[in-house]
Amino acid sequence: MTAKRAGLITDTFKVVKKAKREKREKTAPTPPQLDVEPLPLTAKEKELQELRQFDQDWQFGPCTGISRLERWERASHHGLNPPEEIREMLLSRETDPDYTHCLWSAYPL
Amino acid sequence: MFSEVSGSREGGCSLLCHPGSEDRDPTVFDRVKPAYSPCADRFRLGDRSFNRQYAHIYATRLMQMSPLLTERAHQKWGADVRIKKLCDLQMGEQCCIVGTLFKHMDLQPSILKEISEEHNLLPQPPRSKYISDSDELILEDELQRIKLEGNIDVDLFVTGSVIAIYGAEKNDGKFTVEDFCTADLPPQTPRTLVTSDRFVLLVSGLGLGGSHADSMLALQLLVDMVTGQLGDQGEQGGAATISRVLLAGNLLSQSTQDKDASTKAKYLTKKTQAGTVEAVRLLDEMLMQLVASVPVDVMPGQYDPTNYTLPQQPLHRCMFPLSSTYPTLQLASNPHQATIDGVRFLGTSGQNVLDIQKYSGMDSHLDILENTLRLRHLAPTAPDTLGCYPFYLKDPFILEECPHVYFSGNAPSYQSRCITGADGQEVLLVAIPEFSSTQTACLVNLRTLECEPISFSSFNAGDDEESEMNISH
Repeated sequence: MTAKRAGLITDTFKVVKKAKREKREKTAPTPPQLDVEPLPLTAKEKELQELRQFDQDWQFGPCTGISRLERWERASHHGLNPPEEIREMLLSRETDPDYTHCLWSAYPL
Repeated sequence: MFSEVSGSREGGCSLLCHPGSEDRDPTVFDRVKPAYSPCADRFRLGDRSFNRQYAHIYATRLMQMSPLLTERAHQKWGADVRIKKLCDLQMGEQCCIVGTLFKHMDLQPSILKEISEEHNLLPQPPRSKYISDSDELILEDELQRIKLEGNIDVDLFVTGSVIAIYGAEKNDGKFTVEDFCTADLPPQTPRTLVTSDRFVLLVSGLGLGGSHADSMLALQLLVDMVTGQLGDQGEQGGAATISRVLLAGNLLSQSTQDKDASTKAKYLTKKTQAGTVEAVRLLDEMLMQLVASVPVDVMPGQYDPTNYTLPQQPLHRCMFPLSSTYPTLQLASNPHQATIDGVRFLGTSGQNVLDIQKYSGMDSHLDILENTLRLRHLAPTAPDTLGCYPFYLKDPFILEECPHVYFSGNAPSYQSRCITGADGQEVLLVAIPEFSSTQTACLVNLRTLECEPISFSSFNAGDDEESEMNISH
């Protein structure tokens, strides 16, 4: 019974699925073309990316609720050797909230 | 001991002398003055920022403790023991893991359970203990957690303790513990030797403003004893050897806390006075008698008018208009740490011990006190079940230096024990009894590091002599 019913349905589905698969296969090779497009990162964006990497490093503990500098200093205090360039970067831009606070700071607790 | 010191003096019968004979040459007993330095800065809060989560305190606790535990693990299981993170753990491999314990307890009160309307549960009744047979221990490192079984007694551990375990992961994903180790006693600076007998009086749980009329007389006797207004010259000379008094919390009684006041309508409570007002006035008068004669450290406790969360900040001076004019009054934080004549005192008003008592199988305050010392942490259950400030830079409750006297207040009875650490540390553990119910205080001898209880119960059956005296005169 079920086989008969399934046979009727699969007829219709087969067409759709095949069509989709073909489309996907066609779209798959496209990403290499997109690679050409991204604009070169500005200096600020590069720095912010580095800082976000620092935020996500689990060794230095949770990052919410404290400033990046406080987190850096805690890690340094406990002998975890956080990267020195992060500190320099943070000290050079002490007033810019993009720099001082972690990537989750926009979300309330 | 104190009883010998005060008994052995000459002139034991001075009370029987002719009153005029001493007039020309009154004997003055100078109180011994100890070198004192408070070192409780770590328990003072600067800015109070509460927009942080408690994840930081656990993270920093593990950061601080894991080098210590790694060292201990190497000492205990050999230098070639593999210390791994949970994420690198291979099944069946013998290794050591350092992490924070979490005890899963079914009976632990949870606000989420209480407000869940779906289950329609009744509020959970308060219990004296929240442990059950279904409790499970879970070890957490920075990234992962794993259930523990095997050679580890669930009842003896509490959430928040950092330990190292040795064993292997089994097929079912649980870790079979073969052995474990704690951070054990921190290093100790040797105490300076005191040449003569000097005492520090530890008192806890005065419970002013409560219903214990009995303890008020006992408290007055205590004050008179310390200030040298009791007994003959021998006893007064003995009292002069008490170099400092330390009041460890719960100066006010629990009954001064009026829970209704916050829920009642304002116009109903407008003219009523808070129960603490009268009690604080009593405390001020009592303190004035003491500080006029002896330096006093006052620690707040669970029921005292200061912040609730640990570390409790010192009581405010403005509450003590009479006694705060004396430089001998030292308003301290809870936990409190101070060096008296080279002897380092560290202790709390007992909240940490009472909380561990609720969430573990241990009952004796002294055992719990020793356990926290071996875990090298004053209050492991903070911030889980014990209120605590959200620290992020460092956990101030980790013991960095071993005290010589480690105390906790508000115990049901007096207990003390001397323990010796692996590196020759000598620590006197003291559970200070609650004064309002036991009328007992304790005296610590700074020379020998011994402790003895001193009881002021006045109308008990055991003290027939004293009560007879009260009746006959």
